[in-house]
Amino acid sequence: MGDNIYLPKLARVIHIKEEVPGERAIKTFRLEFMGDDGFEHECGQCAMLSIFGQGESMISIASSPLVTDYKQFSIMRAGRVTSAFHSLAVGDVVGIRGPYGNSFPVDDWRGKNLVFIGGGCGLAPIWPVIQTAVTKRGDFKNISVFYGGRSPRDIMYQVELDKLRSTAEVHLSVDRVEEGWQEFCGFVPANLMSKAPSPDNAIAITCGPPVMIKFVIQNLRSLGFRDDQIYTTIENKMKCALGKCGRCNVGKDYVCVKGPVYSWADLKELPPEY
Amino acid sequence: MINPQDLRTRARDLLAKGEVRAVIGYRRGSRGMAAEPVVITRPDDANSLVWDPTCVHNLALYLVEDCKQFAKVHQHPEKPIAIVAKGCDARAIVVLLQENYFKREDVYIIGVSCETVGVLDERKLAHHPAGVDLERLESAAFAGDDFVFTTASGEQRLSAREVMADRCLECRNPFPKTNNVVFGEEKARTLAAPFAALVRFEKETSTQPVRWSFWNHQFERCIRCFACRSVCPMCYCDECVVDSIAFAVMPDTTAEEKANRVRWIERSASRSDNIGYHMTRALHLAGRCIDCGECERVCPVHIPLRLLNTKLERDAREKFGYEPGASVEIASFVSSFRDDDPNDFIR
Amino acid sequence: MERILDKGQLGDWIAALDGWEVFAPVLQDDVWSYQPVRRATDSVRLNHPNTTQPPKNFAFPQREVFFTFEQIKGEAPRLTPLVPKSEQRVIFGVRPCDGRGLPRMDRVFTEQFEDTYYQARREQLAYVGLACNQPPGRNCFCKSVGGSPVSREGLDVLMTDLGDRYLLLAVTATGETLMRKAGSLLAEPTGVDRGEAGRVHLAAITHPQRAVSNTTSVPARLKANFTSPLWEELAKPCISCGICTFLCPTCHCFDINDETAGSVPLRGSRIRTWDTCQFPDFTMHSSGHNPRGSLGTRLRQRVCHKFQYFHENFGMFQCTGCGRCVTGCPVGIDIITVVNQVASAADLPLTGKG
Repeated sequence: MGDNIYLPKLARVIHIKEEVPGERAIKTFRLEFMGDDGFEHECGQCAMLSIFGQGESMISIASSPLVTDYKQFSIMRAGRVTSAFHSLAVGDVVGIRGPYGNSFPVDDWRGKNLVFIGGGCGLAPIWPVIQTAVTKRGDFKNISVFYGGRSPRDIMYQVELDKLRSTAEVHLSVDRVEEGWQEFCGFVPANLMSKAPSPDNAIAITCGPPVMIKFVIQNLRSLGFRDDQIYTTIENKMKCALGKCGRCNVGKDYVCVKGPVYSWADLKELPPEY
Repeated sequence: MINPQDLRTRARDLLAKGEVRAVIGYRRGSRGMAAEPVVITRPDDANSLVWDPTCVHNLALYLVEDCKQFAKVHQHPEKPIAIVAKGCDARAIVVLLQENYFKREDVYIIGVSCETVGVLDERKLAHHPAGVDLERLESAAFAGDDFVFTTASGEQRLSAREVMADRCLECRNPFPKTNNVVFGEEKARTLAAPFAALVRFEKETSTQPVRWSFWNHQFERCIRCFACRSVCPMCYCDECVVDSIAFAVMPDTTAEEKANRVRWIERSASRSDNIGYHMTRALHLAGRCIDCGECERVCPVHIPLRLLNTKLERDAREKFGYEPGASVEIASFVSSFRDDDPNDFIR
Repeated sequence: MERILDKGQLGDWIAALDGWEVFAPVLQDDVWSYQPVRRATDSVRLNHPNTTQPPKNFAFPQREVFFTFEQIKGEAPRLTPLVPKSEQRVIFGVRPCDGRGLPRMDRVFTEQFEDTYYQARREQLAYVGLACNQPPGRNCFCKSVGGSPVSREGLDVLMTDLGDRYLLLAVTATGETLMRKAGSLLAEPTGVDRGEAGRVHLAAITHPQRAVSNTTSVPARLKANFTSPLWEELAKPCISCGICTFLCPTCHCFDINDETAGSVPLRGSRIRTWDTCQFPDFTMHSSGHNPRGSLGTRLRQRVCHKFQYFHENFGMFQCTGCGRCVTGCPVGIDIITVVNQVASAADLPLTGKG
């Protein structure tokens, strides 16, 4: 008999940053494993984070696998467990089990142009790929990042995005313009179309609200991207993260195991129920 | 006795004339003799309607579901919906009307009287010494004071009294008084004293330790399938206070509201949470339960749930002179009081 | 290994199973259920139709406490796992449909990510099955889903009732161990015994049963009819309870919740409970989005999981034809009818293709 798959490891909160304020607040947490008990992960994978007494929540690991001192998570306050996260202080200890799910085939993308398209909290699941690509910059060709929020205050990772500009194209947008905003005003899919990245030797990676993903994929295809050049992540309500509780399936795939990463070529074969 | 064809004709007419938009009734099921609920919208489908001793379901449940579907899209139906209702079912409709769940003109009640007999209790039939093979039964029919069962090899006739549901034996209001039309005659039925099963149970468990031990054992067996709650027309709350998980999330529900959702009773089937679930549900039905008996019928592990509900029904009757579902003119039990309500039991 | 056991000596065999906790079907509270056999006082008769609940509860109980936790804010919690002790338990009277349920549960719980709790309960669990001689129940359909009234799959021993005696067939090494404990109670089967058993099995297999039709094409036909309006129509009477799934020998959906007993210091347990794809909020996201918010989508999930998705993943149906969901449904929703109707509906264009 191996490890107890339901028993979390423990991690201490070493850093908390308020990314986005307000009703749909986002905070970024850095967790450090306690003792020698930790795990490595690949881009796109998630972990089940526990607040004992409240429950667990499946959150994308937002730090690159190349970062070994901590694991980063950006969590939007949405319900019971995530609200409890937003009440944490540095030094608090939470549970963590993982890594779960599949990963972006980043190694296959060497030598290619990478186009990242994110919206809202959806920047976090693709952030590890961006960070890995930027760290191993020579392995990849052109890197562009399209990212937007409802208003300037809803843009997360603002400092990090600014840092990216020296080595990648960063195209920000807001749905609602506010005074002082210099960049694109409108939805992320529209920003994408206005810059019209080329599909040649390119991979597009997108994550965000379902309606944004739908239009982004539509637009990418109209720009000439093939279905196997488009990658996204899907999510569903999850409890076990082990493909057993029966809850997160889309057709025959349990998203916690076979996902969350899907190419559009694979995703369109699944029943449209997510 | 009711001629089922009269029922079908009326349903067909209502639909053909456009007086109602649908009819909730019973039709033959695919798994043997038992009838099953159906909602028909086309006049020709009225041919599938049946009326026989296996029409046990309380169809008022589907009125509630119908209302919820319209409420979800913020619409109100233009035409009423018709429903086949036995005496008990009609009283359920009255309770829903007392609670303003829908308006009287939204529902067209096709009353059916069970006259001197009620409906079948399949468990009693299974135990009956006549040894009727339930697996081979193809249909059941009313025949005066008897039920007639048909298999491939012939018929068997039993006195209805011997295989009627307990609630039917005890029923004092078999005639659906609130109706738009009624089939069958109003006949008195005095087969068993009211609350007979409850009285029997109280005699068999006459001391508190014995009774508590009985209920502990019963609640140990509950698997929390929630069928009892799901089948009850009066359990219409989207958010059930004794189910920590059910939560009516709307697009504007805040994270704080979700985080603050109180978990009174956990979902896991521990004996103590099972007790909390059943007792609270029974209390929430006090003065509202009209003893259709469905909760007890559907329970897969045969917990005698009627005992809980009839106990409170008797309390309502004896302490407050209140009869659930008697008339739309009367206010609902827990939302009203009279100056002369008894209070000597308040300590 | 085949042996003959006199019916009157069934109790003696059970008494000889020292070191094993024995369970057998008993009619209690008007339902058939597996109860522990207290050897001295109980007589086991194996004259049951089928139990109301399948034996999956032995390996996968309704309530499983994973661990307890105790935590002071700012400090690491103390987690105490409560993995059950692996015990030798043998269940008598398991019908072949229920026997076939166990390997299907095993696929889910022991392959990728071995489930510690399930494995502890399951690894020394033995099934002594009983072939179904009598005509099947009205809602039995084991044959059309790859099973049979005399199937050995999932069983350790298969018993066949030959009137005054049983023919015992060891299916696994554990079954042989159990049989050997009967020692001299067992006799070699004679030609007459084998002939009788053959006749009984043939009669059982040829009893007419309801059937899911054209099963080889069912997974593809269900896939083609994903968007059929039939799903909503067939699901209309559904009351969204959990009877069909809780009584199913292969359904395994569950929930995990923290139940707190105290807040300062924080004390509680993380507990797994049965859950069902039929409850309305099973797939509800925190945002309020629910991919399966209607009765039709939930019926489709249950049926397609059993007859399409599981088949696509493991090459076998997840339904063993026990009929409990059909018999137990309060409103008569009948999986045999549902599969047959949807699978035979005219093909509809698959949406979702870009």
